[in-house]
Amino acid sequence: MSPMKPSRRHVLQAGLAAVAVPAFIRAGLAQDGDLAPYQSAKIDWRQAAGEQITVAVIPASYFDNLIALAPQFEALTGISVRFEKIPPAQIRQKAVIDLTSKAGGYSTHAADPMYYALYAANKWVESLDPYLKDAALTDASWFQADDIIPAWRNANTIEGKLYGVPYDGEVTIQVYRKDLYDAKGLKAAETLEDFVSNAAALNDPSNRLWGTALRGVAGAGQNVYIYSSLFREFGGEWFPGGKFRVNGPEAEAALNWYVDVMRKYAPTAAQNWNWPDIADAFSQGTVASYIDANTSASVINNPEKSKVVGKVGFARWPKGPTGKRVSSIWNWGFPINAALPEKRKKATWLFIQWAASLPTQARTSYQYAGPAKRSGVNRLSLWKNPDYVKLMDSFGDNFVAATLGALEHDTDVNWRPRVPQWPAIGDTLATAIQQALVGQATTKAALDEAQRRLEPMMRG
Amino acid sequence: MKGRKLRLVLLLGVSGLFLLAWIFPIFWSLLNAFKSEQDVLAYPPKLIFTPTLAAFDDVLFGPTSIVPNLVSSFIISIGTTIVTMVLAIPAAYALARLRVPGKKWSGFYVLATQMLPPVGIIIPYFLILRDIGWIDTYQGIILIYLSFSLPFAIWLLVSYFEDLPFEMEEAAFIDGASRMMTLWRIILPQVRGGVAVTVVFVFLNAWNEFLFAVVLSGNVVRPVTISMFNFVSVEQTLWSKLAAVSALAMLPVIILGIIAQKHIVKGLTVGAVKGGGRR
Repeated sequence: MSPMKPSRRHVLQAGLAAVAVPAFIRAGLAQDGDLAPYQSAKIDWRQAAGEQITVAVIPASYFDNLIALAPQFEALTGISVRFEKIPPAQIRQKAVIDLTSKAGGYSTHAADPMYYALYAANKWVESLDPYLKDAALTDASWFQADDIIPAWRNANTIEGKLYGVPYDGEVTIQVYRKDLYDAKGLKAAETLEDFVSNAAALNDPSNRLWGTALRGVAGAGQNVYIYSSLFREFGGEWFPGGKFRVNGPEAEAALNWYVDVMRKYAPTAAQNWNWPDIADAFSQGTVASYIDANTSASVINNPEKSKVVGKVGFARWPKGPTGKRVSSIWNWGFPINAALPEKRKKATWLFIQWAASLPTQARTSYQYAGPAKRSGVNRLSLWKNPDYVKLMDSFGDNFVAATLGALEHDTDVNWRPRVPQWPAIGDTLATAIQQALVGQATTKAALDEAQRRLEPMMRG
Repeated sequence: MKGRKLRLVLLLGVSGLFLLAWIFPIFWSLLNAFKSEQDVLAYPPKLIFTPTLAAFDDVLFGPTSIVPNLVSSFIISIGTTIVTMVLAIPAAYALARLRVPGKKWSGFYVLATQMLPPVGIIIPYFLILRDIGWIDTYQGIILIYLSFSLPFAIWLLVSYFEDLPFEMEEAAFIDGASRMMTLWRIILPQVRGGVAVTVVFVFLNAWNEFLFAVVLSGNVVRPVTISMFNFVSVEQTLWSKLAAVSALAMLPVIILGIIAQKHIVKGLTVGAVKGGGRR
């Protein structure tokens, strides 16, 4: 997601210079040699030549790298691509409007995995399995769909059908100050209990050092992002006996753990923090550990901003009382808009295949000419590639092992309820967690209220 | 006497506190624009630091230059303001002065359009603009902005027209002036202050609008309110650049305010006998 030793200036310069110099790239990069790895695929890349597709993405360096390479795709296929950058908070809304209205404005967009259930239920996007199986469109042995991180593919699969091919993503891991841990003889937490005792051992607010911080601000992608994993680690089920349920003893235990840790060992302000705020605090040396997306490594290793470069260690999400580790995962995947004419669907698929392929993933990450190397590549084989590993391990102790371990073993496809009602569930749950955190309601009362509100929605 | 002094001190103190609370966020944001990223995050917060123009340099001349976005915002805001004023002045004048059937209700209707929550009308607007091919065009955005700026401007202007005495218009009519000429030559100079206030507010609303812009714009039309979000990425918040963009985005509005202020004051003080009303 970001550079080896990323500096803000470099992140922006690389990503955006790339956008600014498409002509140079066209002339310099889209040579025959550059296209050779793609031309070895046994498909006709030019079968949708002349089509124009529009791709909506968020402003992020990992998409900037892709935009920079798009002229190669255009030279390869004869399809022209127009990118539109939309702020992360608005891309869902804008995509849903486009899909609802069947406007076909965006051939594909950076899609939220939690929305596929809604998309699929309304037939707004196509199942991608027919495209994967069509030998005229996909060379299966070249594309190697199985190499794409299974947890992300599962997250984008509804009732056995894949709806979005992951391009970039993340997994949640423990991040801690190795120097502070070493000084006190502490080890990265194996269990949630260890995590609490580590936080307690280092918590020293009078010297502006807090034991930990977890996402506190209300939101489906904020406090719910952390709570849902805890809920599953405490043995919670979203649909016990087929009936939707967000309250009950496991939910209360999970929420109690979260509230307790946040109140005792996190700065009070963390009740309103999202992960960039946590990463900023950690980078200033005021937080000893946190659990969040592996991608925050780029921020805490930014020498222009961070005071803890070289002092960071990583580990997998601690085990819950059930012995399970449940890491929250995320990816930005590309679906195909069902409202497109057939030829444009093909063009869109060729774009998705190109973006998610191994050569493009390598070229937008460790082989990328600019300093903004991506850390969220979608392929297991790349995560085991020595060049890529070398680059990523500069983020800190155990970074690749923790990330890959979490990606391969700790994710649980149902860490959040994947149903069309998700947007409402996410918002309601976020409010309940926040109420419990700030003491407006007991954990039980907050969760019972969430259950009461959600039940009619789940029936309808 | 002593009591009066105390009251004055208290009043000044409370006013000072309010002023501080009002001005502090702007002051702090401006300060951050001149800091390095590390200085922004420093604790205790730094009041004394080595100022740098790096953030301004980046947001103006760097690869993420917001200049095209400022241009977009200018075109939208000026376009919206001109069209709004051209339509709102005669409409407000008519509401204030002409005897037309259903006038009372039409006034309420104009106000009622302001009661709709914007988020509820985005989809219909999106569909209409899509059907006429005006998504991501200046004319499309300006048209939609008119839907909220026009009623607002009409309502604001009506009160200014109503304040003018009828005698002035009647004198002009007797001298043989047409209604349009009267409006242009006699009435408008008298309500210059009101027009200035309206222009400022219409411009300001269009300049700061985000919700409609994010849905109805794209790569061609990209106002600064949207490009600002490029500095709040999923990866990190680039505080000093965000502050620099905010400062630059504030600047035109502040300049407009200062220019308009002269007219506002003049419009309020110079002029005619008060005592008009709605006919």
